[in-house]
Amino acid sequence: MPTRPLVIRYEDDLKLFPGLWQRAGVALTLSIALAYPWLVSTRWLTVGNLGLVAIVGAASLMVLTGFAGQVSLGHAAFLALGAYTVAVLGAKHGWPFWLALPLAGGVSALVGVVIGAFALRLKGLYLAIVTLGLVFLTQHVLLAYPEVTNGLSGTAVPMYWWFRDDAGVAASLSETWLVGGVGFTFERKLYFVFALLAAGTVWLTKNLQRSDSGRAMMAVRDQDLAAEVLGVGTTQAKLQAFGVSSFLAGIAGAMFAFQQQYITVEPPFDLNLSIQYIAMIVLGGVGTVFGAVSGALAFTFLSPLAETVGGAIPLVNQLTSAQQSTVLLSLVVVLVLVLEPLGLFGVWLRVRRYFQSWPFRY
Amino acid sequence: MTQLLQLSISGLALGASYALIALGFSVVYRASRLFNFAHGELLSLGAFLMTALVEVMPWWLALAASACLTGGLAALLERTVLRRMVGRPVFTTIILTLFLGLLLRAGIVIAFGTDTRGMPTPWDTMAEVQVGDSTVLLSSLISLGATSLVLFGMHALVQRTPMGVAMRAASENQEVALVLGIPVGRVLAFTWFLAGATAAVAGIFLGMFPRSVDSNLGYVALRAFPAIIVGGLESVVGAVVAAFMLGLLEVWSQAYVNPHLGAFGHNFHAVFPYAAMILFLVLRPRGLWGEHEVRRV
Repeated sequence: MPTRPLVIRYEDDLKLFPGLWQRAGVALTLSIALAYPWLVSTRWLTVGNLGLVAIVGAASLMVLTGFAGQVSLGHAAFLALGAYTVAVLGAKHGWPFWLALPLAGGVSALVGVVIGAFALRLKGLYLAIVTLGLVFLTQHVLLAYPEVTNGLSGTAVPMYWWFRDDAGVAASLSETWLVGGVGFTFERKLYFVFALLAAGTVWLTKNLQRSDSGRAMMAVRDQDLAAEVLGVGTTQAKLQAFGVSSFLAGIAGAMFAFQQQYITVEPPFDLNLSIQYIAMIVLGGVGTVFGAVSGALAFTFLSPLAETVGGAIPLVNQLTSAQQSTVLLSLVVVLVLVLEPLGLFGVWLRVRRYFQSWPFRY
Repeated sequence: MTQLLQLSISGLALGASYALIALGFSVVYRASRLFNFAHGELLSLGAFLMTALVEVMPWWLALAASACLTGGLAALLERTVLRRMVGRPVFTTIILTLFLGLLLRAGIVIAFGTDTRGMPTPWDTMAEVQVGDSTVLLSSLISLGATSLVLFGMHALVQRTPMGVAMRAASENQEVALVLGIPVGRVLAFTWFLAGATAAVAGIFLGMFPRSVDSNLGYVALRAFPAIIVGGLESVVGAVVAAFMLGLLEVWSQAYVNPHLGAFGHNFHAVFPYAAMILFLVLRPRGLWGEHEVRRV
């Protein structure tokens, strides 16, 4: 029996789950994801929620940087726009979260497409610096209108699940529900909502990757002039990448805001956040959806671990716990970049090749 | 008129510091084809070293020593980490230098702590001078003079000395330079040393009154980015000229633009250069002096 189905037609190459092993892998991932909130403590459930936020954020950056090759340091700006949209809609107008979420994506996508139009003629470093400028400009705008965003002191982000009733009170998601004797705390409810969003994002980006728009983006990434000569609409591909990426980034920002329940402009929405997301996709492996997911999970789960380990290392333990995890994660990223350019995806490829050819070395 | 003169002098002094930073970015870019995001941390490293060294040796010697130490560290970084990145995508080097910057920053916090320090000067720290009918800080004038000196020195070095010729040749085409017998590795190390040393000088002058030295000093380098981009990454002269323009623009807009924008104008001068840069790049995507790129498939 062959270990994997032979690829003899284009349709085979485009299949989402080409073989039994992929299907088994997805089923295993899904069952672990469903069991996770019942198995772990509240602390690790919070980490899991942040991991799901990071999956959406990293997948969105992967579309722009990994697929279309547009290096962006401005991811924090799109996240901030999404976060503040749901904050304002929830706190000022009492909108339910499922209505505010797509709007957060929409606001962010609008800005993304406008910036994308500016960025059409820019490449590489020039684009990176322009998108960095976008972060500063967004911070400035958010702080300049305190009557909307509450300025420096930040704003609460209520999460309602239905509109305000006649008395003007909206139903919040934060109290514990009892369903058939099982307690659904806020964190658990959040987890299931986020898991749905993350799964949807992964499905969307994976489909984008294997569709013609995704292939156009990758052609632009690999050699834009050649793509243009071959008839690929480079303008359209770049704008699509910016649009999809910033829409999903807005959603990720909104999820982050719901999870934190109270947000300020800086931190978290500064250059460091952009750098973190870049680190995730680099850790995972640039250009693949698997890379985005694994990088996001590795990054979020390493942070609390790094804080635990950091206290035991001399010199490093003089730093604050946030700085300790920054140092250890930076070390990991630098080492991965120097030693394993493909990231976790490269490690995975090597492991898989070993087992596929076992017991032979090649 | 008095106010304009006073503002222009402080703008030029700020621009001089930006020019030193831009110079560091630009020479490194020409030599190694990478944008060193860790440059800002070299700035604060130089400034912190200066505050420590000035306790044990005379001021001028401390200045030279901290410049040499910072330059040495920059050359070491190039040799150990960044030279392995030759031939890898732009993206990789951007991230690598960003994270090296984070590591350097943590190292600085470990070594020097997070306290804010004043930068000692051999002259009276708050001395003022009369220029025409306006008063200017002596430190601003001296930093303007000193940075101009460094800039002219660099210019002479690159244009007139054998080392400068080697640097230009290596940035033009590394393989041909190697064939012609130029020790490209040593030239690269020397370039990074120069970048680190100028960064330290810039950091020291930026730390003087009315500013101070703390671990956030490195963020100033982020404010110099518009100058580097507008001036064109490949052109050192362009970057330096744009840096002076940036200093003037920032100071002028703080005085003349901010008050007219109401609440939106608060701190607007800090982001105005970025807004100007984005508009400028729409018109000229390769910068003011950037060379026109011939595209081949």
